[in-house]
Amino acid sequence: MMYRAKIEVSLKSGHSDPEGEMTGQSLRELKYSVKSVSVSKVYEVYFEADSRQEAEKQVDEMCRRLLANPTKDDYRFEIEEVK
Amino acid sequence: MSLYAKRNVPFELFEVNLLDADDKQLLQISGEMGIGLNLNEMKAVQRYFSRKKRNPTDVELQTIGQTWSEHCYHKTFKGNIATPKSEIRSLFKTYIAKVTNELNPPWCISVFEDNAGLIDFEKGYAVAAKVETHNHPSAIEPFGGAATGTGGVIRDILGVWADPIACTDVLGFGPLDYDYEKLPSGTKHPRYVFRGVVAGIGHYGNNMGIPTVNGAIYFDESYVGNVVVYCGCIGILPMNRFVKNTRPGDVAVLVGGKTGRDGIHGVTFASAELTRKSEEVSRPAVQIANPIEEEKLKRAITRTRDEGLGSAITDLGGGGISCATGEMANRSNCGVYVELEKVPLKYPGMAPWEIYISESQERMLLSVPEKNLQKVLEIFEGEEVEATSIGRFTDNGILRVDYLGQRVAELDLHFMFEPPRVRRNAKWKEPDYEEPYFPEPENLTYDVFKLVASLNIASKESVVRAYDHEVKGNTVLKPLHGRYGGPNDAAVIKPLSDSWKGIVISCGMNPNYGKIDPYWMAASCIDEAVRNNTSVGGRRVALLDNFTWGNPEKSDRLGSLVRSCQACYDFAKGFRTPFISGKDSFYNESPLGPVTPTLLITAIGVIPDVKKAVSMDVKQPGDIIYIVGQTYPELGGSQYYQLRGFIGKTVPKVRVDKARKLMDSIIKAIDSRYVKSCHDLSEGGLAVAAAEMSFSGGYGMALRLENVPRTEKMSRNDFLLFSESNSRFLVEVPEKRREDFETLMKGNVYAEIGRVKKDSYLSVYGLNDEKVVDASLAELRNCWRSALGG
Amino acid sequence: MKKKEIRVCIMRVGGTNCDAETKRAFDDLGVKAEIVHLNEMVKKGNLLDYSALVFPGGFSYGDYVRAGAIWAKGTLTNLRYDLRRFVEEGRPVLGICNGFQVLVEAGLLPGFEGISEYPEAALATNVPIGYHCNWVYVKHESSGQCLFTKEIQKGKVLRMPVAHAEGRFLFPKEKENDYLKRLYDNDQLVFRYCDENSEYANGAYPINPNGAFHDIAGICDPTGTIFGLMPHPERAYYGWQLPDWTKGGRMPKYCDGKSVFESMVEYLRKKS
Repeated sequence: MMYRAKIEVSLKSGHSDPEGEMTGQSLRELKYSVKSVSVSKVYEVYFEADSRQEAEKQVDEMCRRLLANPTKDDYRFEIEEVK
Repeated sequence: MSLYAKRNVPFELFEVNLLDADDKQLLQISGEMGIGLNLNEMKAVQRYFSRKKRNPTDVELQTIGQTWSEHCYHKTFKGNIATPKSEIRSLFKTYIAKVTNELNPPWCISVFEDNAGLIDFEKGYAVAAKVETHNHPSAIEPFGGAATGTGGVIRDILGVWADPIACTDVLGFGPLDYDYEKLPSGTKHPRYVFRGVVAGIGHYGNNMGIPTVNGAIYFDESYVGNVVVYCGCIGILPMNRFVKNTRPGDVAVLVGGKTGRDGIHGVTFASAELTRKSEEVSRPAVQIANPIEEEKLKRAITRTRDEGLGSAITDLGGGGISCATGEMANRSNCGVYVELEKVPLKYPGMAPWEIYISESQERMLLSVPEKNLQKVLEIFEGEEVEATSIGRFTDNGILRVDYLGQRVAELDLHFMFEPPRVRRNAKWKEPDYEEPYFPEPENLTYDVFKLVASLNIASKESVVRAYDHEVKGNTVLKPLHGRYGGPNDAAVIKPLSDSWKGIVISCGMNPNYGKIDPYWMAASCIDEAVRNNTSVGGRRVALLDNFTWGNPEKSDRLGSLVRSCQACYDFAKGFRTPFISGKDSFYNESPLGPVTPTLLITAIGVIPDVKKAVSMDVKQPGDIIYIVGQTYPELGGSQYYQLRGFIGKTVPKVRVDKARKLMDSIIKAIDSRYVKSCHDLSEGGLAVAAAEMSFSGGYGMALRLENVPRTEKMSRNDFLLFSESNSRFLVEVPEKRREDFETLMKGNVYAEIGRVKKDSYLSVYGLNDEKVVDASLAELRNCWRSALGG
Repeated sequence: MKKKEIRVCIMRVGGTNCDAETKRAFDDLGVKAEIVHLNEMVKKGNLLDYSALVFPGGFSYGDYVRAGAIWAKGTLTNLRYDLRRFVEEGRPVLGICNGFQVLVEAGLLPGFEGISEYPEAALATNVPIGYHCNWVYVKHESSGQCLFTKEIQKGKVLRMPVAHAEGRFLFPKEKENDYLKRLYDNDQLVFRYCDENSEYANGAYPINPNGAFHDIAGICDPTGTIFGLMPHPERAYYGWQLPDWTKGGRMPKYCDGKSVFESMVEYLRKKS
């Protein structure tokens, strides 16, 4: 079965987020009253798996093996079957 | 009458009813198809197809539009120009190429005709150099425009089989504090453009691992609507591997990235004025950059070169496959047959004309003898770069293009490469600026602080450090050098492991002077580029010219261009410095008006032993400071006048014979190791040069204006300190070398004006011996560094 | 091992761009170094023919996902057993800049318990943000465990350039102190950013150019045979590469980065 996973990798709290800070500064320069910005990365992955359970297991592995570095990254994902 | 008829084929192909079109319809076709040809050119196309007794396809018209565009063919420089005095047949031949032809130095290997100029270097190696303009794309999309500009000029270097080893970037922006309210809609704020352009250049150069070693940034109101982006690249190649000799039967191999719709009509767009609508209409014309693809491409190309497997190479820039195949065939008097369906695409559904003219990045064209084809394909596969044979070169002088077995284009190459000459009018009108009068300030310390903090002089460290200028480990003189990171006059690269010979890269640009007189602007640019090279020990200088001008169809814009070209001839000849390559960008006009005419001169020199290169920071208390060169009351266009809101009239001139002699003497002094530091006098004059030397080296300086060689009329301290007269240097010489140095300088204008001091103050004594400048080095350094966020 | 028997592999993939100057350093020391594409090595399966392995600087695979991540996984997947044996036999592995990022992403550094399954550290986006190219000072911290700095005195201050956008060394927040202690206990801390007078940066920019935790510029694994650092020793090899070589009377022939390569060659020469 074909699945689509939408994976979001974001920074763990506690570490500084220079990209978010810079973006916030830029938006404030444009006169928006921005309090804070956090940046995360979204991956959309299309892949084959035998079952939903199997699909979830695979995506979790993908995250741990490549997409996120547990030292600084959190991740979460949604999975849906696609026809 | 219907102008377009869809052919009955299983893909999108139109026949254009050119033969029956009247003048109005010809222009309508040119406009609707976005090919940017004028009536005269459309008529030439019409005549060609009447002789062929058939109508053209859209592929053919698009191909002609690309090949004849200002960007690809440089109509203005090659066309006829009527001035009030005479008729100029080709600015290029009359002024630029003429210098090189007359000087004809044996070390110029290949000039103007190729993707980049080639000059002899050392041990069978040649240096390749090219500087591109990428103004229009950067105005629409600063990051993408500047990145692809860098990628493009690097491919120009690859396009002569050379290894890219250094980049240079000269940029022009509007004032960073420009009022948001005054921006016309569709024009981006200078701050946004600045950030994007700098990031784009860094993205490409850093990722590819090519050090960005030289550059400059200028700020001018006219750049708000017309950003100026000059991207340059220097390469090196073993001359015995240089080959451009396509033979009939050779295979046309397209290498690099896939082809998509990105960049369609980039060329015609670069040859038109920017309007409010440009943003919406032109976005797809800006290409997407992938430096890693080009890095891999570079590896595969240099290996193909080293194994001697290709017969020619060219980059795919403006006009895409259409220009590259045509030019490569034309250069070797061949023909070419292309099977367009073989081109690897990013996505399906592209019409043949789109495939043929797309300007997708990171692609190049090779011609490869059949027997080497397999080996070449393997090399590219090893680097994970796509390589596809898309056709074959023939002996018939015809460009033939098929798509899925249907002929979609057939054009005679001699027709394609002999477009009708444009004829334009040029008339320069002297602007009526006046010399300002204001009383001489008693104390000039404050003005020195203001000047080192003015945007055109202030440190560009925040930009310089965003570029990798160290990668490859060959950067001998860096953009910021010395204990406190002073602004060097030129970069020095040591490209060969087994030789001490270096390449010296510098530039000159003075748009402010051009507001008064473009002739003296060009003269000053050449002087500045050459003297920057001289300052560090560079000689045997070759020049590259880059013009950014407004709409050349307007006679005043063209008039100023003619004037600056005249100076290019006079002064390049006078300095004995041939032009080897160049590039122009016209139609830099926006709702805010035309760009300030901006000539960039890039100078490529050599230094026999990089160990003798001289940096600009002072080295030792007690050393003598000499000024070399005469100071004139030339403050027109100066930063000092600008500080007070004036332009003025007395633009700096160049006395070229004296200047050349003086620079030769400085080189001799550097080679003899008499010179400990040397800095050229440019924006801000003597005061700024002295301040920069002093705060970069960390030692003070005491100078006497009384000793400065000057014309009789000069009686003001401020004018002596801030005049921007050309061909001047400050030179640090140890006491024990005094006699040697002075003997060497005999016959030149020079004088001892002070000493390096142990304290940390820049002190200047005026004509009446009173102290007119007393500035702490820490404060000077701080002003210089903080203006642009150091 | 005789000097002429030493064979150094400088590995590269698409986007690697500091391989030539790294090779030049070994050439200068009279050691044979070869630049090998990962794909070529996978095809030949000959990693174990080499005495040392170097991951040079660059932007491997465009730094997509995270700097060094894709190259790290590619190496682990394709060379897993050979690499494990290579490391177990104590053959030196050096990672410079992007190469350091690779070693961390591959779990080879800090490698408290050998090669870890998931990264135990990270090289995150610089603070302040952005690519930064400048010369820095680092203080040598190793008491002798790291084979790449054996020829350098403890406490010596070295000068080398950095050029990167992702060099902020990090441990997981909750394990920071524990991991730092282990670095000290195992003598794994090799270089820390400091000023020219050997005072630690304490996080202050630009002395610490990227905001790295504890001013960490380079670490080795507990055995001292795997070493990664953000600064570029290969760009601080010859005297004329210094940013102020014009200052003194005579230009020095070499500068500080050379000792890293020398130590490595010296180790190999002594190794049986």
